[in-house]
Amino acid sequence: MEHEAKGASYIMKRFIFSAVIVAGLFLSSSLSPSAYSQKTSNGNGNGAKAARAHSAVKLTLPLKKDSVKFAVMGDTGTGSSKQKEVADKMVQYYAAFPYEFVLMLGDNMYGGESAKDFETKFSEPYKQLLNKQVKFYAALGNHDQNLQKNYVNFNMNGKEYYRIKEGNVAFYALNSNYMDKKQIQWLESELAKDTSEWKVAFMHHPPYSSGGKHGSDDQLREVIEPIFVKHGVNVVLTGHDHFYERIKPQKGIYYFVSGAAGKLRSGDIKDGSPLTAKGYDRDLSFMLIEVDGKQMHFQAISRTGETIDSGVIVHQRAKP
Amino acid sequence: MRHKAICQLLFIALALPITFLAIRADAKSQVTPRATPQLSPMDKEAVKRFEGRVKDYVKLRNGVKAKLPKLSKDATPQQIESYRENLEAAVRNTRTGAKRSDIFNHEGSDYIRRTLKVNFTGKDRVELRNIVFEGETATVKVRVNYPYPDQAELLEMPPTVLLNLPQLPPEVKYRFVGRNLLLVDSETNLILDYMTNALP
Repeated sequence: MEHEAKGASYIMKRFIFSAVIVAGLFLSSSLSPSAYSQKTSNGNGNGAKAARAHSAVKLTLPLKKDSVKFAVMGDTGTGSSKQKEVADKMVQYYAAFPYEFVLMLGDNMYGGESAKDFETKFSEPYKQLLNKQVKFYAALGNHDQNLQKNYVNFNMNGKEYYRIKEGNVAFYALNSNYMDKKQIQWLESELAKDTSEWKVAFMHHPPYSSGGKHGSDDQLREVIEPIFVKHGVNVVLTGHDHFYERIKPQKGIYYFVSGAAGKLRSGDIKDGSPLTAKGYDRDLSFMLIEVDGKQMHFQAISRTGETIDSGVIVHQRAKP
Repeated sequence: MRHKAICQLLFIALALPITFLAIRADAKSQVTPRATPQLSPMDKEAVKRFEGRVKDYVKLRNGVKAKLPKLSKDATPQQIESYRENLEAAVRNTRTGAKRSDIFNHEGSDYIRRTLKVNFTGKDRVELRNIVFEGETATVKVRVNYPYPDQAELLEMPPTVLLNLPQLPPEVKYRFVGRNLLLVDSETNLILDYMTNALP
């Protein structure tokens, strides 16, 4: 109603604006390979052991010395045999790609959090990685109790939201389940003074997603996206929807949904969603990421070891 | 001339549906921000008193907590479980006799209801309502001074709503269960109070 009242000049402006958006969307989806190219790589082996292991798995990451290497998993905590299978696959890939830490995207524990649950839903499935001194950094989801922030193996240091720095990358773990004024103010002030080359946010709820069950969290996006844009956040990793999805860049930011390391919602990605750059909802999955200078390489892997997506993100402010 | 006319027709034929789709997509992706209802002097007083009662609870629970063994930032699952059980039991014992509306009370509830009504009404708020009403919270028995079951989902508090409600200290959180708005302890999830029919 409000639009009609503004008359023809408004409609014309709206027409031009929309046409520009449509053209932009078309260009970003068809002409973006310079900034966002699909890539497979043979890598530069990191020693004989890794090279042998490399041959056992299909790694598309460059495996550079001194790069920041990590894994990403979301919606893990079921304690199911499938979760364990994904964990085992992560161990297999660790041998070829020795990542230093794992980001957990929330729903770290479903249905109860007794001491026994911590074992069956976390420390047992990931025992081999814990034994290799791989660190886990958790974000909280809608199935997680607050006191997980004190759990030694989640490395949250008693905080619901926190920042860590690894190499040239700053990671912001956010509590998207309770995004109050205090957290927003903290995020703004931390990002404002952050001079890291890469800024990566990880949290449970996805500002963008093509999930049929949940989908994009518009309320969260309304509050948080302007902060990400203003302060140059490069990549946002989320879960909640139980599948893998790489979202087409939104306002210059790369979003991933990786919420299927313990639960799967098969066939949940909406067909023909304009958001999807790549989607996979047929099996459980996790991600491996390597940040090397101005490039962030990613590989998404299914429970059975199939590479379901891979590519490289060139830093948004990198010179061509 | 004829060629030009065909081109113009083609352009219109292509541009119209594209524009229509773009406007629709654009409209869907935008959520209209809602303001809080204008705070009357009475509202301000009600909110202040509500916040005061929340502070009273925090003072009480922190007093109880101080007498218990501290929980380390690097705790084991056993330590977390034991801490939670002890804190929950101690706070419950101290609040025996706590009942509904002790914290929200009538005036505070009235302001919060109006705020929620503004935030939850309208076509563009369908999704917001879905977040709340499709949550897996049917098994939650809402009772004051009883814990929120740890098997149940803790629904996301929509940030746009959270920013408009009176702010709470870190020890206390709002939660939705159906149309009820709860106040829960952040660490134990003990239900401190709740408002029925908080949502329109």
